[in-house]
Amino acid sequence: MAMNPMEQFEVKPIVPLHIGPYDVSFTNQSLFMCLVVAAVTLFLTLAMSRRRLVPSRTQSMAELSYEFVAGMIRSTTGDDGLVFFPFVFAIFMFVLFSNFLGLIPGAFTVTSQIIVTFALAATVILTVIVVGFARHGLGFFKLFVPKAPFLLLLLLVPIEIISFLTRLVSLSVRLFANMLAGHTMLAVFASFVIGLGAAGGILSLLSITPMFMIIFIGALEMLVAFLQAYVFAILTCIYLNEALHLHGQH
Amino acid sequence: MPPPEPDDLQRLGERINEAEQRRTQRTKPPPPMSSSGIALRFGWEMFAALVVGGGLGWCIDWAFDHWSHLQTRPWGMVVMVVLGAAAGIRNVMAAAKEINAEMARKNVEK
Repeated sequence: MAMNPMEQFEVKPIVPLHIGPYDVSFTNQSLFMCLVVAAVTLFLTLAMSRRRLVPSRTQSMAELSYEFVAGMIRSTTGDDGLVFFPFVFAIFMFVLFSNFLGLIPGAFTVTSQIIVTFALAATVILTVIVVGFARHGLGFFKLFVPKAPFLLLLLLVPIEIISFLTRLVSLSVRLFANMLAGHTMLAVFASFVIGLGAAGGILSLLSITPMFMIIFIGALEMLVAFLQAYVFAILTCIYLNEALHLHGQH
Repeated sequence: MPPPEPDDLQRLGERINEAEQRRTQRTKPPPPMSSSGIALRFGWEMFAALVVGGGLGWCIDWAFDHWSHLQTRPWGMVVMVVLGAAAGIRNVMAAAKEINAEMARKNVEK
């Protein structure tokens, strides 16, 4: 049986919908985005519904995620960055939950679509630009002007602008590539199990070995799912810090 | 219960400060980096800058082509790819500096 490991990333319409020339169908992608948002909301409201001074297990998980993000913002941007707590927390929880929901067999991984991660990264970069202009006005352009003689600036300013825009690419592709690679690897090893199992004889017994590999990669993917959400959030904080305090002074 | 001594209060203050310092320090270390991770990051920084530079150049050429009669193609892209390479090298250097600083801090802690 031939299985295509990339098949899991296919976006399929559930409710076809067209407005004018645009295809706005409700797809498995949109469904899982809704599920992610619902899961985050359910988790946080249920965990905090019976508030106690000595927290229950779920409540301490919710408090832990709050403390984690708040601490991250405080340590990278200082206390005045806490204004952006809702923004960073929303991004962190969305990425974290889509990564983890995607690990459930048969589920669709929202963050394995480049357009989703690109939209998230673009939101971050646009926020950075807006905050930068709101805080510093035209002084925000200083971010692109290093200390150098005027003639060199003609060369250096475009370079600085390119390396600022690089963040957009690296932020989105890092998350996307990690999720895509991990899930493809899982699917490839799963097809080994099925292929060896169907081969018969001694080969069928051997099909246990890729199974162990799947367990190992599955555990690794758990780590990657968390780590990538963390990296995305902390990079958001670092970029916000640059917009708040030009050239990163506190 | 006797009224708290000023000495006690001072000790409490110290303990609160300690706890706060611990809290701000705990979240500080970025994810641990293996050497292959570092190599991957350098390669990636370079690649991303080249892609952005080339893309911008292509857009510039397209814009000139579309909105004026100047024929800049392929020079916008040529120039911007070179600038992108420069930006990539700059990013790699910045990343190396960052990693060095982090390793130095880790060694100090040891």
